[in-house]
Amino acid sequence: MNRREFLQYSSLMPLAGMLPDAMAAGQRPDRIVLLIELKGANDGLNTLIPFRDDFYYKARPKIAIKKGIPLKGNMALNPYLKQLMPLWNEGNMAWVQGVGYSRPSRSHFHSLDVWETASTRHNDDRGWLTRVLPTRGNSVNGIVLGDNNLGPMGGRDGAAVAMEDPTTFLRQTKYLNKTQFHAANPSLAHMLKTQNQINNAAQELGRAHQGRRSPVRFPTSRFGRKLELVTQMIINGMDTPVYKVSLEGFDTHAGQINTHNNLMNHLGGGLKSFSDAMKRAGLWNNVLVMTYSEFGRRVAENNSGGTDHGAAAPHLVLGGRVRGGLHGKQPSLDPSKLYDGDLVHTVDFREMYATLAQRWWKRPNPWKHHRPLPFV
Amino acid sequence: MGRLSFSDTRHLVTRAALGAEWGDIKALEGKSRREAIAILLKSAPIRTPGLPALTPWANVTRIKQTNAGKDRARKMMKTEGKRLKNWWMKHLLHTDAPVNEHMTLFWHNHFTSSLEKVEQPHLLYLQNQLLRRSAMGNFRSLIHAIARDPAMLVYLDGDKNVKDSPNENFARELLELFTLGRGHYTEADVKSAAIAFTGWGTDRNRGTYTYTQAKHDPRQFTFMGRKGAFTGDQIIDIILEKPRAAEYIAEKFWKEFVSDAHPEPQVIKRWGAVFRQSNYNIKALLSEVLNSDQFWSSKYRGTLTKSPVDLVVGTLRTLPFPKLSAGKLSHINQLLGQDLFDPPTVKGWAGGTSWIDTQTLLVRISLLNKLTRHSSASAKVQSYLPKTTGKEVIEWLLPLAPVLPLPTTPGKRRMVRALMLDPVYQLK
Repeated sequence: MNRREFLQYSSLMPLAGMLPDAMAAGQRPDRIVLLIELKGANDGLNTLIPFRDDFYYKARPKIAIKKGIPLKGNMALNPYLKQLMPLWNEGNMAWVQGVGYSRPSRSHFHSLDVWETASTRHNDDRGWLTRVLPTRGNSVNGIVLGDNNLGPMGGRDGAAVAMEDPTTFLRQTKYLNKTQFHAANPSLAHMLKTQNQINNAAQELGRAHQGRRSPVRFPTSRFGRKLELVTQMIINGMDTPVYKVSLEGFDTHAGQINTHNNLMNHLGGGLKSFSDAMKRAGLWNNVLVMTYSEFGRRVAENNSGGTDHGAAAPHLVLGGRVRGGLHGKQPSLDPSKLYDGDLVHTVDFREMYATLAQRWWKRPNPWKHHRPLPFV
Repeated sequence: MGRLSFSDTRHLVTRAALGAEWGDIKALEGKSRREAIAILLKSAPIRTPGLPALTPWANVTRIKQTNAGKDRARKMMKTEGKRLKNWWMKHLLHTDAPVNEHMTLFWHNHFTSSLEKVEQPHLLYLQNQLLRRSAMGNFRSLIHAIARDPAMLVYLDGDKNVKDSPNENFARELLELFTLGRGHYTEADVKSAAIAFTGWGTDRNRGTYTYTQAKHDPRQFTFMGRKGAFTGDQIIDIILEKPRAAEYIAEKFWKEFVSDAHPEPQVIKRWGAVFRQSNYNIKALLSEVLNSDQFWSSKYRGTLTKSPVDLVVGTLRTLPFPKLSAGKLSHINQLLGQDLFDPPTVKGWAGGTSWIDTQTLLVRISLLNKLTRHSSASAKVQSYLPKTTGKEVIEWLLPLAPVLPLPTTPGKRRMVRALMLDPVYQLK
């Protein structure tokens, strides 16, 4: 070993003890999650379509999609998601079918709360990610973009920031105290920690905001713009393991077809750009994209060419380390197998969370009754 | 016992009432603890602002019968829900009985119900009036009334609890959240209590409590070691025989009035005993808490985080900043995480340090910054400020010494602004 090699080696030594922690503060985590909330309840049956099932066409004489892109067996992809087909062919696209929970609520508010807190009893205010992720000093665990709701990262001990957009956030934080103070009691200590987290996020964000941009072009929609911002934060090395953005407008009670196809187009186009940008930056193996939504929609269409609130639905997972394919079991559309007109879930949504906790982040699984799935 | 200093009376008033009104604090200065507390707890006549226009349930039910009507009803309920929230906000701002109103809010957080679930502003209004009437009254009568309260029957599915198809929601929360807490009852007790309450429901046309004999399950069961075909009211009385029920409420008072830290067990035992001996007189318990050495201990001063109502309503009751509209204030309160009539979970607001997170801290600071910014409107504050020493102004607005440096340039308004933007201002 020559002197130069020795110095390089020894300079790594003090770091060695810290390296196993994939989420050390102050550096880009090597396991990042991008959550996409499909606000309003996405119609799963017109997203991942059981195109060989007669029950599907019987239940939806007006709005059944006949030109889906066959994926495997009975299932086809909504044609407006075609931009994502390369990811399917590369084995980086997984669909988890029939995701839901027992005794499902049909209230947007209540069911979203169930998904975000992973509690069906409505008695815990902590978001599910708050329970999974460790606290990391002044570093935040997540950034919510385009929404003021911390959602899955909210509640007691949560450490995330939410913002309409970075510019507004940076303006708001201007007035926040920047100096450290003596925290003589736990309430003051909590306030100091929160203040430091915000200031730290603002500083990181300011840096990323000035930093380089991906050469990949994003759709100019609101959704595309948000994904572009997330991309910029990731490639400039922000130390945040979770990002959340939402796509709005899925509450399709009437005239669903055009609205929904349009949303699928936004979703597919935005995520295609995001995956391209991550690949260009050499980070595709470090990110995982997952969708969620308060519930799926009723199997049968209504009289207005739309669908009402339902239950189970499929969810999409993307990423370089994702095991592509169809996971879980598609619920039966046989009217005699439905519960009050709704699909009966075959996968509890907490199995998806358990997978992220245990298999993606190598963290303890807080939902002992729910085992991880092999999609990553 | 010594006489109360200015800072002592400020502590008493900010913790028991709403905000720190100069006159209220000054009036109690120099009195003994017992005297001051007696004056503070003396019942003032409760005047509520005029009732907002709310559609009775029967009319809503009728409108809802068509598809178009459903949509209309939903919009109506949304508007009326806002109206109700603004009505309470006004009340909090202007009431002459701030201690009673503080307790009304306390019980709203204990016996939670939400517009989100109940979808009936008028029923929530009736529940709110019940809480206000009983806020400092008798806990036993309050809980019997709450069990019959139509909003509660809807909120916890009591009206779906019928013979052969029991719904345990109310029975469970009665034990877990209203009276005993986890670990002080069994699953079998929940099932038994649910049987006792079968047949309790609501008349959807009149929005009133009903009892339907045919829906009641008359069989015998065992509840808390006793066998019988108990009624719902008997279930409540059996629970209230347990010392634990009084101690459970005492623990909540500890958290509301003293500290986020774990309560001292012997203190809870003593408060619980006082509460039970008074046959669950709420005022007696409150008086005991406020008279306790723990309440006055320097160890616990300035350790409670102000709730959004403490911060928003308290600030505007304390200092004459230009009043924002009730609608605006409700909205701010919602952004701060305390959306009145819409608690986040059946447990109510978690409170304590969780009032402050990355989201709400920014909203708090931005609100205080806006209020205290130099403007012709905020100039009014200048003339209102009491003619007193700088030291007393600090003691008036902050429960502890400021942690950030104070401005070196003189100026009353500058001083008030600095104090309100100090992190300690978030505490009480």
